[in-house]
Amino acid sequence: MSDWKRDRRRGAHSEERESRSVGLSRWSHCRKRGVDGNLRSSSKVDGREKDNDRHIEGSHRYPDGRHSSFTTPESTGPVTRCSQQADWGSQVEDDEMRRDVHRDMQRYRRRILGAEVTERERKTSSGSSESNDSKEGDNIETDEAVLLRRQKQINYGKNTLAYDRYIKEVPKHMRQAGIHPKTPNKFRKYSRRSWDQQIKLWKVKLHAWDPPSENGLNEVLDNIEEPDLGDVMDIELDFPSLADSQNASVSLRTHLLSVEDDDCLGTPVKVQRTESTVEADMA
Amino acid sequence: MENSSDDYRIQSFDLDTQVLLKTALKGFCISDPNSVNLEKVCSIIVDQSLKDQVFSKEAGRICYTIVQAEAKQNNGNVFRRNLLNRLQQEFKGREETRARSIQEWVCYVTFICNIFDYLKVNNMPMVALVHPVYDCLMRLANPDALMNEEEVDCLVLQLHRIGEQLEKVNSQRMDELFFLLRDGFLLQEGLTSMARLLLLEILEFRAGGWMLSSTAHKYYYSEIAD
Repeated sequence: MSDWKRDRRRGAHSEERESRSVGLSRWSHCRKRGVDGNLRSSSKVDGREKDNDRHIEGSHRYPDGRHSSFTTPESTGPVTRCSQQADWGSQVEDDEMRRDVHRDMQRYRRRILGAEVTERERKTSSGSSESNDSKEGDNIETDEAVLLRRQKQINYGKNTLAYDRYIKEVPKHMRQAGIHPKTPNKFRKYSRRSWDQQIKLWKVKLHAWDPPSENGLNEVLDNIEEPDLGDVMDIELDFPSLADSQNASVSLRTHLLSVEDDDCLGTPVKVQRTESTVEADMA
Repeated sequence: MENSSDDYRIQSFDLDTQVLLKTALKGFCISDPNSVNLEKVCSIIVDQSLKDQVFSKEAGRICYTIVQAEAKQNNGNVFRRNLLNRLQQEFKGREETRARSIQEWVCYVTFICNIFDYLKVNNMPMVALVHPVYDCLMRLANPDALMNEEEVDCLVLQLHRIGEQLEKVNSQRMDELFFLLRDGFLLQEGLTSMARLLLLEILEFRAGGWMLSSTAHKYYYSEIAD
């Protein structure tokens, strides 16, 4: 009986130790950004000195003299060691974005499943000329780091007045491939270079909806007040048209061509102007 | 319905503060979303929570309302960011707070647990708060805190409210916490019988899957029938 008790007690203690080290790795991965350099120590402020002392105290377990930021953080400390990004607010935001991306991915997969079925049906009936990769599912980008990086880039683009104006002025069903900006599909496999280029082109196109510099102030304010939240998800989850799989530079050519072909579409005049920018970028 | 109880709580603020909070709670006036200073709203709520224990139990819902409204309004999270960072700042100074005023410390724990309970990210608890909340509860389970009925009461109340959620996200630390509670119940000298009662109840509560059996409930909660 007493033996059993002692055993249990010991078990308790080792478990305790174990879980503490779990705690460590948990906290430490939020420090990623800080690890990239001496930045962190240089950004320490006087007010935080006390907390740092506490970490150093804890570091006696690491006689190999590793940097204090690699030692077990006491529970008080996780925060101090991360540079600006590690405050709770940012942690929760990162967490939120990660979960959003995962949720999007599941939706995207469901969509693909649905779309593959209809695609097959269509092919048998009309013998559509566009065929190639029907295995859309094999072509998904699943690397979380990549997805988060892409999401961040997309968020930057969407967090603009031009984007707000665009989604308000051009309803989704009016948007035409090749003419209107289309958010790059973050779930498709692209090389980094191709992706970055797509983002760049997308942003350039969005600039066509930049608010007019003068007299348009009221209009701008109007747009701030009416955020179109429902639209945000829709755009990203557009089922990828097959044209998407083309290299960005190729699709650019078609964009330019189609803009020249039919200029009677209700696109803002500014689109014309962006062409030169695009070409400059391409050069 | 919710509004009325929010209003009731808000009465305890001074007049300016009431106006400010009411505007924030109404989801910002449509004509000028920038007229509400969310940073200020946030610090008022936190300050009040640290002073007023009743408020600290309710503040989570108010914060939830504001966070929702801000997200709807402009997809923003200024309020949440300020709130969390302020909580973090207070967390760092918690030992000093406790040394200064047990009451404020208890208010802080109540508040952070309430926020943990109400604010979710995609319906999941905010991971960033899990360890801090555990740290606070572990602190309350230390021998010196167990001597203090106010702190035991707070600890037990928080575990009633969020114990199950906390265990789901990290059961190891919950085990760790309950080792302390068992030791406290069993071995610690000088505990008041009230503190022992509270500890015993929470031990039974968790053992029953975060529920009291009806007989246990009768034992702890029915009026003395003599």
